[in-house]
Parts: sequence; structure tokens; C-alpha cells
Amino acid sequence: MRIFDPHIHMTSRTTDDYERMAAAGVRALVEPAFWLGQPRTNTGSFTDYFDALIGWEPFRASQYGIRHHCTIALNPKEANDPRCREVLALLPRYLEKDRVVAVGETGYDSMTPEEDEVFAAQLELARAHELPALVHTPHRDKVVGTRRSLDVVKESGIDPGLVVLDHLNEPTVGEVAGSGCWMGFSIYPDTKMSPDRMVAILREYGLERMLVNSAADWGKSDPLLTLRTGEAMLAAGFSDDDVDRVLWRNPVEFYGQSGRLDLDDVATEGTFAGNSILRGGS
Amino acid sequence: MSLRFGYGTNGFANHRLADALDVIAELGYAGVALTLDHAHLDPYAPDVKDQVARTARLLAERELGVVVETGARYLLDPRRKHAPTFLHDDAHRRVDFLKRAIDIAAGLHAEAVSFWAGVRPAHVSAEVAWQLLAEGCAEVVAYAAERGVAVGFEPEPGMLVETLADWTRLRELVGAGLKLTLDIGHCRANEPADVAECVRIAGPYLVNVQIDDMRRGVHEHLEFGDGEIDFPPVLRALAETGYRGLVAVELPRHSHAAPDVAARSLSFLRAVQWLGDALDQLARDPAAIATLLPAARRRVGRAAAEDVRVRLLGAVTLTSDEAEQLYRYGDNDEKRAVLLAYPQPDLVRDALRSNDTRLVAAALGPAARDLPDAEWRQGVLKSVFMGLPLSGVDGLAQRADAELGRMLAALRREREAAGRTMPDDAVDLLERLH
Repeated sequence: MRIFDPHIHMTSRTTDDYERMAAAGVRALVEPAFWLGQPRTNTGSFTDYFDALIGWEPFRASQYGIRHHCTIALNPKEANDPRCREVLALLPRYLEKDRVVAVGETGYDSMTPEEDEVFAAQLELARAHELPALVHTPHRDKVVGTRRSLDVVKESGIDPGLVVLDHLNEPTVGEVAGSGCWMGFSIYPDTKMSPDRMVAILREYGLERMLVNSAADWGKSDPLLTLRTGEAMLAAGFSDDDVDRVLWRNPVEFYGQSGRLDLDDVATEGTFAGNSILRGGS
Repeated sequence: MSLRFGYGTNGFANHRLADALDVIAELGYAGVALTLDHAHLDPYAPDVKDQVARTARLLAERELGVVVETGARYLLDPRRKHAPTFLHDDAHRRVDFLKRAIDIAAGLHAEAVSFWAGVRPAHVSAEVAWQLLAEGCAEVVAYAAERGVAVGFEPEPGMLVETLADWTRLRELVGAGLKLTLDIGHCRANEPADVAECVRIAGPYLVNVQIDDMRRGVHEHLEFGDGEIDFPPVLRALAETGYRGLVAVELPRHSHAAPDVAARSLSFLRAVQWLGDALDQLARDPAAIATLLPAARRRVGRAAAEDVRVRLLGAVTLTSDEAEQLYRYGDNDEKRAVLLAYPQPDLVRDALRSNDTRLVAAALGPAARDLPDAEWRQGVLKSVFMGLPLSGVDGLAQRADAELGRMLAALRREREAAGRTMPDDAVDLLERLH
């Protein structure tokens, strides 16, 4: 099984995770820029984080033969802080970096006017930089948030085929299925989706425009739930080709629209900017 | 507006025509410049009509545009290259050939037919030659006009019409139906104006463009990069003329490696077009450097990226704050380009603090000239520690002093105590300084 995890926050994970992911068949991933569990208070905090997403983290991934890409945006939660919104002016510099394959995560957290404004502005950035957009749907009031996100997408004029609405579940998937947008599902150990629920959704809605991710981050999460979903699909009678489509070809097709996916064999270098992940050496 | 790149089939002389079209289309070219020749749609073949129909289908299936070229070497005469021309006694055979080419072009829905004058035979005076040429061209132009085919006349070094000025003279004799085929390489070889200026002069009359590299005074079609042409402004000028026809690579002596040469050529042209557009954008909006600099590598390829970034930086005037921002938000390859193009002590210091050999090496180039001696010595010591060759250190011979020698000697003692060695170039330097 070859796996492309289209949404995982590796900055929060250890090299043990990289090792287990590589063993499980994860060969490529996308790490969306999001919040870090604790609020940032200035733009420098964002840009240092972005630098890690395009620098150190791809290097760490490459040590395990995993190709790392990222998305860049001001996340909806921190869009409400005027100190953080200043980072919007710096996004164009980052959106032109080679490994940046989408604008994201954008979307709604609490559906404030500030979030409205930042969401719309970032969809416009996606258009300007010819990138797909990764839209985070809110944890609270999810159905309304999803509908409203679709309205914003429609208003922006961006091709819906360039947009994924993520963290969907049974109550929201139907809203997105008919929109032309891609549907993302985050499989979590306890909350959001489970592998079996995911399989039921795939049965009902088919495999087209479906993305399955672990969204593993600094919270309780499991980077191998993509693999577990693939296994659950096989157990439920889906074919190897179906699994490959959902776990590899679909994310390649979606993020491939950036023209920046680089899936040639990962050539590992010993160091990034002179620093290695080895400890106890020089 | 994006230019439409094509490839000349005379550069695929060792391929069957159908195979050549396959390779050219697969590589991503938008069209072909089809040189009619004994093995490629021979106009004298008994089944030429069928061949034309078949070729038209092949082109359509591959969504390739086409122009017809008539420069085959031995198609009309197996003994005399390019003969007969308009200027020979049997010029009617040339005219007959060109009429066949026009018929074929009509059958292929070709965008143009291209032809040239020929070399003036020694026994024909210049005056007579011009008269013969004008008469022959008039007949060809009239024939083409009846069939709705555009004809481009190509100035060719060494021939009677070899420059744009000669072409203008011919056009005055023949009339406005005579359009222009321009070979970009020829402009470098023998035009008085610079290449981009030639393109601007030619713009209103263009129906066909060939492209290749060339050196001044030498009519030899070279792969891109092997000649002297600076292509970004040339492609930019071409786009600005509004020309929408094919820009076809003309490398008739590279058939032995055609698929590789064609692949390299298209990568080059796309990269150069991007660079030409980027330079033009910077001229209008210097702030665009902030997004062009990071995009450069994927647009022009890894190998050319650094030179292109330095060139982009050279095209704008940056304040030291702006340079600092580009450095701050750049990845390490972008930082290196900023160090090379806008060396400033604060950026050099930052680079020397890093563990990245690329940055340290760039910092110790000419960028380090304004660094105080103490910091410069520390930088040199660090580069030796990292295993960088001292040959990359700018002004080493003049600036290395006894204090640097002492520092290197101390490093050597430490290395020896640990059972390790010093690089040879560092040993040579410290022994010279001691």
C-alpha cells in the first residue's frame, strides 16, 4: 500500500513517527500550516514556522524517504488576532516557494467577520498564485460553517475543483458532495472520523474527490490511521486499486494541480543547512 | 501571451516523419517546421496526396501546428546542394518545387511556407540576380495568394538576401504579399542591430520564426547556450510584437541526438521565456522581486537557478532593507543569491553563523570585503573546519595574516590531538603564514 497523507502536522511528531509511517507505506505528505496549540503573538512567530515547513521539516521527512510538501496560510483561529493578521502581507513570498502546494488552512473557526475577511483574502491569494486551497471546517456548528464555507468559495470565483473542505463527517459530507469541491476526512482515534465510519462514507458517496488524512498533530492522534482506513476498506470489500485511488492517486491529483508536487524518488542528503537529525555526532 | 514553440523536422532527419511527430508532440511542442525532403513528405512522390492527407491527420491528432520549410539540401539535385535556386538557369524547377510546397501547405492547413534566395552564382551579376529573384518571388507569391497560403521569405547568411535590409529591398520589388521568416540565430551572425531589436523591426511582417543560438560572423546553428545570444529579451520582444505563429527550433545538424536535443531545447526556451517575462515585470514593478525570486528554481531548473536569481536581483535597485527582507524570507538558495548580488556585512555575518556550506562559501566570496579582519579570520577558520576549499575565499592571498596562521595552527594541533587531519590547502596556507 502506498500512502500520501494529505494533511498531517509533522512539526509536532517525532522521528519515531516518521519511521513508523515509512514502514506503513507513507511516501509523501502535505503539512498544512495551522496553529500550534498555543496562540502566537507576532508575525515573526509565523514566518519562523513557515521557514521550518519549507526547510527543516522536508529534510527530516527525507531522512525516512518521505516527500514533504506544505500549505501556507493564516489559520482561521488566529485570523481573529490583529497582531497575527499582519502576516497576510508576507504570505505571497511564501506562496511562491517550491514545496508549497496550496493555500491553507483557511476557513472558519468561530465564523467572525475577521475570519470572513481573511478567508476571502486567502482564496484570492490562491487564485493569484495559481494554487489549490485547503479549507478547515469548524469544530463547532460544523454544518452551518460548512455551508458558509461553500458560499465563500462560490463567491470567490475559484474553481471548486481547486478547493478541499476538510474535517468533514456524516452531517457535512452531503453538503460538499454536490459542490464540485474535494472532500477531506480526518481520521482520529476517538473524535471526528474513525476508519469504519470512513468506509461507510466511501460506500455511500464513492471514491471521487475523496481525501483521507490522519491530521495528526500535537494532540492525541495517530499518523497510521490512513493505513488503518486502507485496511478497513479492504476488509469491507474495496479493491487494492480502490485503496490506491483514495490513499495515493486522489491526493496526487488534488495537490498536483499546484504543478509543484515532486514525487521523484526522494534523494536523501545527510544534513539540512549543515544540521543533521543524528544526535551524539558532531 | 505565451509563445508557441515548435521543432524543425530537419533536426529529426534520422526519424520517420510519423515518429518525429510523436516525439516532438510528446515533449510538449506546439508544432513542427516541416522541411519537405526525400524521406519527409517528398513532394515528388507518386502518392504525395495520400501522404499529405495522412500527415494532416497525424498533425491534427497530436494537436501540432505546422509550417512548411523548403530548405532541403539535395531534393532537387543530388549533386549540387540547394540547387537550382531562383538564380540558376533552371530556376523554373525551384519555382515548380515551391508551388508544390504551397499545395502541400494548403493540404496541411500550414501556417506558412518558407523559402530563401540562394547563393548568387559567380557568373550572374548582382543586378541580374535581383531581377531573377524578384520575378521568381512574384510568381510564388501570386500562386500562394490564390491558395490562401502565407509565404515567408527568409534572409539567409551567404545568400543574395541575407539581412533584413536586403529583405526590405526585395519586398519593395515584389510587393506586400511577401512576408518574412526570421531565423533568430542569423540575427546574431550577420545583422547590424542587436537581436531583440531585429525582432522588433521584423515584427510587423513575421509569418514564421526559427530559433537557435549562433556566434557573430559564423553561420552555424548551435544548441541554446553554445552561442552568444541573450535570449530572455529576445523572446520578450517577440511576444511584444504580437506574433502568434510558431517559434521553431532550427538545428539541422543535431539529428543524431534529436530526442535529447529537442527535450533540452524546450526546457531552455520555457525557462528563458519565464526569465524574459520576469525581467519585464521587474522593470514595471520592482517589488515583484519578492515573489519572482522564490519561484525561479522551479521555472528555470535547479542548474540555472542561481545565475537567474542573481540576474533578477541585478535587474532591480534594492535598498539595504529590501535586500535584508529578501534574505530573511529566502530559503538558503535564495539567501545565497542575495549574498552574491547584494553583499552587506550584516547578511554576511548571518551567513557565517549558519552551518550551511553554501552560505558560508558565498559569504567568503567578494561579499566579505567589508568585514573587519577579526570576523573575516573567524569565517575562514570556520570554512576550513567545515571542509570548504580555500580556493573559494576571495582575496585570501592578500588578506591572510600571521594571526590567521596562528588560528589555523591551533586547529591543526587540536585535530592532531584527536587523530584527525587538516585539509591540504589549509596546511599549505598555515605553513606559508608561519
